[in-house]
Amino acid sequence: MILPIELLLALLVWGTLVGVDLVSLPQMMIARPLVAGTVAGAILGDIPTGIKLGVVFELLQYDILPVGAVRYPEYGPATVAAVATAHASAGVLGLGLGALVGLVTGLLGGVTINLLRRVNSRIIHAAAARLESGDPGALVRVHVGGLLRDALRAALVTAVGLVLAWLARPLLGGALSVRGAVLLAVAAVATALAAGAAGTLRLVGRGPNLAWFAAGLGGGIVATVWLR
Amino acid sequence: MAAVNGALARALLRLFAVQGSYNYERMLGVGVGVAEEPLLRDLGDSKYRPAVARGAHFFNAHPYLVGLAVGAAARAEHDGAAPDQIERLREALCGPLGSLGDRLVWAGWLPFLSGLALAGVALGAGWIAVGVFLLVYNIGHVGLRWWALKAGWTHGTRVSVALHNPVLQKAGAVLGPAMAFAVGAALPLTAAYLSGPFDSWARVALAVVAALSFVALRLRGDRLNGLRLSLGLAAVALVVAVLWQ
Repeated sequence: MILPIELLLALLVWGTLVGVDLVSLPQMMIARPLVAGTVAGAILGDIPTGIKLGVVFELLQYDILPVGAVRYPEYGPATVAAVATAHASAGVLGLGLGALVGLVTGLLGGVTINLLRRVNSRIIHAAAARLESGDPGALVRVHVGGLLRDALRAALVTAVGLVLAWLARPLLGGALSVRGAVLLAVAAVATALAAGAAGTLRLVGRGPNLAWFAAGLGGGIVATVWLR
Repeated sequence: MAAVNGALARALLRLFAVQGSYNYERMLGVGVGVAEEPLLRDLGDSKYRPAVARGAHFFNAHPYLVGLAVGAAARAEHDGAAPDQIERLREALCGPLGSLGDRLVWAGWLPFLSGLALAGVALGAGWIAVGVFLLVYNIGHVGLRWWALKAGWTHGTRVSVALHNPVLQKAGAVLGPAMAFAVGAALPLTAAYLSGPFDSWARVALAVVAALSFVALRLRGDRLNGLRLSLGLAAVALVVAVLWQ
């Protein structure tokens, strides 16, 4: 993947915004893979690839219910890196390689979120006396510090994802036959679909909503067959 | 009145960043304190700093509904409630605001609209489906944040009245089935959309691997998640691909 510097910078800025949106500011869901991927595709002039990778990671996102302090992978910047990878490799190879880079970046993003929360805990613990004094300046400084650290974290995750995207094509693309590329894409898409279905069923539970899920599934299958 | 509206607007803006310093010690506490601070400025000097300090104590709830606690605690400070009563109010709100927000937003509004967007994309709506998702989602998002802050400020220590708002109850009852139906419908459409470029043998492989993965996730959901399974299967696929040249 060799991209002009202005496109790389645009992807880095977008990945950072997406990473910050997940938890810190403003949680308007640009961190959703479907949105992150579509805009990353638009930056690269390749919206269809952005949407396709966005759909794969959106399905994986259903596996996560961000309640309490639960730990989870971060699929926003991961989708940006995935789209950058896929843009460099056409068709199924791009889908498989993009998903692989995105998964590794998502794992890294999740680890850094946990790390950041631990760092924030230490800083807030150290500032306890100032916070207990009710000094509004100290309060805002501690809070803004957390926001800035999250922005730095998101930028780093996106940058690492873009480096992986740059390395993926020469390191893996050449070693894979067409059949191999298809296998990789099948693995990524199949697990995304399975994670989407399993995650949704966890939300739906065994109550009356299960009948609504079954009705939707049936309707979706009929529509799919009819549209073929 | 204008001063109150200005303070509420500033508090609302700060609420968008309420999780900015998320941590395992006070969770959202510091962010809640920052959001509440504009509403406390017209307290007297002797009350202002203790109220700001209280606002930054431990707090955890759904981020979109935190405004309810911010507004209620600030109003209680203005009404001269005792400090321990305000602490108890905050503690009492954590659980209900968390579970209500999770049910309404994370398990309702968000996956419902995401499912519709996925179906829209699969049916060929492309980026327009994504744009509509973002727009409609945020109408609900911003509306909920604003309602929560206003309701908290209006009711103060009697904020539990707001939690029994019939619109919230109705939304909770409607969004669960709507989410289940929308995502259920989106799954087969999305599967067809993603498998479009594959040959017939790859589609069969896709169906088999997806079914086995689903079973694995259902049976071992305590140890396995989508990311681990995806990475594991991608590694297996890479090895097979290199061997099967």
